[in-house]
Amino acid sequence: MRDVAVIGVGMIQFGRRDEDSLMDMLAYASLHALDDAGLGDQSVDAIYVANMAAGMFQHQVSIASSLADRLSLLPAPADTIENGPASGGSAVKNGLLAVASGYYDTVLVVGGEKMREVTGWRATDVVATMTHPTTEYVYGVTLPGMAGMFTRLYMEKYGVTREMLVAVAIKNQGMGGLNPFAHVEMAITKEGIYEDHASIVNNPVVADPLHLYDACPVSDGAAALILCPLEMAKKFKQTPILIAGFGQATDTQTLQERDDPTDLKAVTIASHKALEMAKLKPSDIHVAELHDAFTILEIAESEHIGFFKKGEGGKAALAGKTRLGGQIPINLSGGLKARGHPVGATGVAQVVDIVHQLRHDLPKERQVKNAQTGLTVNFGGFGNNVLSFVLRRIEA
Amino acid sequence: MIKKEIEIVAYKCKKCGKLHYPFHDRCLNCRGREFDQIKPEGKAKLLTFTRIYNLPWGFNQRYLTIGIAQFENGVKAMGQIRADESYDLKLGMTLDPAWEPVRHQYGENVYGLAFYPIG
Repeated sequence: MRDVAVIGVGMIQFGRRDEDSLMDMLAYASLHALDDAGLGDQSVDAIYVANMAAGMFQHQVSIASSLADRLSLLPAPADTIENGPASGGSAVKNGLLAVASGYYDTVLVVGGEKMREVTGWRATDVVATMTHPTTEYVYGVTLPGMAGMFTRLYMEKYGVTREMLVAVAIKNQGMGGLNPFAHVEMAITKEGIYEDHASIVNNPVVADPLHLYDACPVSDGAAALILCPLEMAKKFKQTPILIAGFGQATDTQTLQERDDPTDLKAVTIASHKALEMAKLKPSDIHVAELHDAFTILEIAESEHIGFFKKGEGGKAALAGKTRLGGQIPINLSGGLKARGHPVGATGVAQVVDIVHQLRHDLPKERQVKNAQTGLTVNFGGFGNNVLSFVLRRIEA
Repeated sequence: MIKKEIEIVAYKCKKCGKLHYPFHDRCLNCRGREFDQIKPEGKAKLLTFTRIYNLPWGFNQRYLTIGIAQFENGVKAMGQIRADESYDLKLGMTLDPAWEPVRHQYGENVYGLAFYPIG
């Protein structure tokens, strides 16, 4: 198998993008990535497009074929990859394996979702269709609802407090304010969402014990990567970033069938496989982008990866250990919480953000100084399909 | 009112005894393919719950309380909890299960598990 590098990245600002179609967003992010790699007027050997639910949101399917046509990449083979909120990670994995195998040399991986085309009522329903149809969905459970039930158990077992969740929300939303690609650019304060009397109005319960500011927004957006073999990467203009490891694992579809519903086994297996393949330990990672669709998930994932012991992740967040300059900076993009969560785009966007960190091309208020390694976790369903990637800077 | 029979069925692996709900073609523990069908029995214990205020399409109400409970014979299942906002639900409390309409879809009632807290 060949080593594979990221040689181009592209992203558009996440948010409510009424003026753009899904295909517009996928095309813009792809063109940014092609230009970033210096492939502006050239083709690629294959295309992998991550998308969860264009069939439901836009009544449009076969989007990879449409994108190949729109970008004049014909006759490049193109596939749409659907794996719930882990669609992006799955598309990165497919691109990675295609290049590693030697079958293709240059691959475009792009993920996108346009969720704001429908009402919040409809979007919540579309996302809920990833739950079990007859034992979960039928009751009206939503993904925030699943996260609420998980949070209650995690609080009970590990002593996580609302103050710890609030610390994650404030950190990530603060970082989002510094990220020109983020959906949510408004910084929040502890007084405003937790301590002050008005916090009852500012930060209402959405799925108790989770509040509004514990949850990511519903977003439109797209992100893209260009991959090639490491041995070819020096021909391109950007500092190559090696995909040094990846892991993927599944878990039971329903929470009730897990022996311990607070144990996110798929996160542990996926992240540990990625670290093992990269021959690194959790303590070797300089920066991470975790799947904080809900604040509790950033805390739980940081423990399952091994950045902190079980029960210590919330305390670490409260103590500032996950901020820039801390022990392990997490979600300096703002995470899903602030960058936003267009479901098909997220797993790709996480890799884009780590690539920027490892290229050292971010402004100092978001850049981990001399970062050499980064890790992502892309969490599908409610932890029933998880992907993790470890990336490493390769000096020219 | 006559209580309707609870229509869910759990599956106990004939080889290792692991209990499954919902159905799997192979046992999650030993990959056995033969199961005894088990009906949930007795009261249920509340394992976790949430009150959801941002409801999905199809629910025209202000909030919905949903939880996972374990029946006396070990079957675990999700259901709607019939308790209003002021009710102080606690983990481990006992629930009385029922089979009731849980949503209205395409002009029809869809039945499912409902749990009534009894202390």
